[in-house]
Amino acid sequence: MSERLLPESFQDLDPFATAWSLATERERNRQRLSSTMEEIQAFYNALLPRMEAVVAYLNQFPLDSMPADAQQLLYLTLSLAEVAPAVELFKQPSVADGYDAARFVPAHE
Amino acid sequence: MTAVATSRIGATSNGKTWHAQYPELGTEPVPIEPYISPEYFALERERIFRKAWLNVGREEEIPKPGDYLVKDLPACGTSILIVRGKDGRIRAFHNVCSHRSNKLMWNRGGSCQMFACKFHGWTYGLEGQLIFVPDEESFFDLKKGELGLTPVTTDTWEGFIFINLDPQPKESLKEYLGEIGETLKGYPFAEYSATCYSWTTELRANWKILKDAFQEAYHVAFLHKRSLPDSFTSKSNPFAHGTDCKLYPRHRKMSVYGNMEHRPTPVEEVAFQFGSLIIRNDFSMDRLPAGVNPTRNPSWALDLNVIFPNFFVDVSDGTYFTYNMWPLAVDRTLWEVRAYYPKAQSAGQRFSQEYSKVIFRDVIMEDCSTLEQTQSVLASGAKTHFVLQDQELLIRHDHKVHEEFVGFYKKQNKKNKKGVTANV
Repeated sequence: MSERLLPESFQDLDPFATAWSLATERERNRQRLSSTMEEIQAFYNALLPRMEAVVAYLNQFPLDSMPADAQQLLYLTLSLAEVAPAVELFKQPSVADGYDAARFVPAHE
Repeated sequence: MTAVATSRIGATSNGKTWHAQYPELGTEPVPIEPYISPEYFALERERIFRKAWLNVGREEEIPKPGDYLVKDLPACGTSILIVRGKDGRIRAFHNVCSHRSNKLMWNRGGSCQMFACKFHGWTYGLEGQLIFVPDEESFFDLKKGELGLTPVTTDTWEGFIFINLDPQPKESLKEYLGEIGETLKGYPFAEYSATCYSWTTELRANWKILKDAFQEAYHVAFLHKRSLPDSFTSKSNPFAHGTDCKLYPRHRKMSVYGNMEHRPTPVEEVAFQFGSLIIRNDFSMDRLPAGVNPTRNPSWALDLNVIFPNFFVDVSDGTYFTYNMWPLAVDRTLWEVRAYYPKAQSAGQRFSQEYSKVIFRDVIMEDCSTLEQTQSVLASGAKTHFVLQDQELLIRHDHKVHEEFVGFYKKQNKKNKKGVTANV
């Protein structure tokens, strides 16, 4: 069995951690753009109802010195922010009629 | 215009009141030629970018002595080295070695005690002085004291670093910014600049196509119908009319309407609990100086501050963002976009900032496609002019300021008087 990535109380989200617990905006954006809507929707559906508990849990740690598993959980929430427009606004992974994301390069992430 | 005059505009006036305040600007269509003419572009490089004050960064980027930034300015044929000296002062130099003009620093920035040229090892101190020349004895009458880096005039405003490539600028930065600089006094730039997210992209569009797109809100209801369905528009204000505008001799500002009845999406609802969103019905006038949202309109999202020639400072409550448009060619522009936030104190705030920046970025992705699509047909000759409505006043004003700097049509009108046909 693979090692758990997320804190114990959020084991239900662990199956999503490998794909979506990503440290940088560029990685999270690439993951969004290379996923199907079904994959994005499954991740969104799993995390959104848990957000209140997740944020309450994460807020007990100082942002700059989180335990490793909490840090992974924080990255997972940042991916929810990343996919939100795909699910809620565009109904597709990329920005509809949008610019090539690979050309819009993060300098400070 | 006085504050009394602007306050008459009201939130969603349909009375074409903006142009009425500035009758000297007229209401005629404006020419497309400045966006496609290589001759016009050559003049812009000389008469705008070598004369005007240009924003090149923020003080937070170089907090300690020895910290430096490298800013390439292809439109001006140079690169600038901006460095904080041992005395804490920020200085700027042409990033050009005094020996055989090699570009001195090739990276984007960093921290060091001295700058050594890769070519032959000439080395300069933080104050630009030449301190070491390898094999110095083989040179002829080398006057090291006169061979420091070439200084560039620099100054700061509200923590923003500006440079001026004119060897003798006609005005100080304070004079150049004038009243618009005063209106932002007291905005918490230092606090909000703790976190910076930024992107760069090279667009196939004239730099003024970019500027135009971000100094009007008319396009929001159409181009951003998916991404911003009800943030800047509402039943009472379907075309995102601004709540206020003001033109200065060179610069201009506009207050953008915010729909306080905006219905947040589920994820936005979560983010909303932790601040950082532009559309928020709990924004605080107390945190904003009198010059921001000057009419104190409760349906307010943000103020656009367009600082000539290529710098936008768009301020909201809890966040601000900036644009710098750097022309590379008449039809190519390097665009820098930055979103600034206060230091996140908790995971919730960090999440909220991420959501805010992702939406901001995705909205801009919609703009970017349009900018290139516009440029791709601009030289078709199908149209010679842009038709502007009342709420596109800022674009009209920009044309006037450009002409004041560039003098392109003044020259053509002279030719006209001599019997040469002008194409304007």
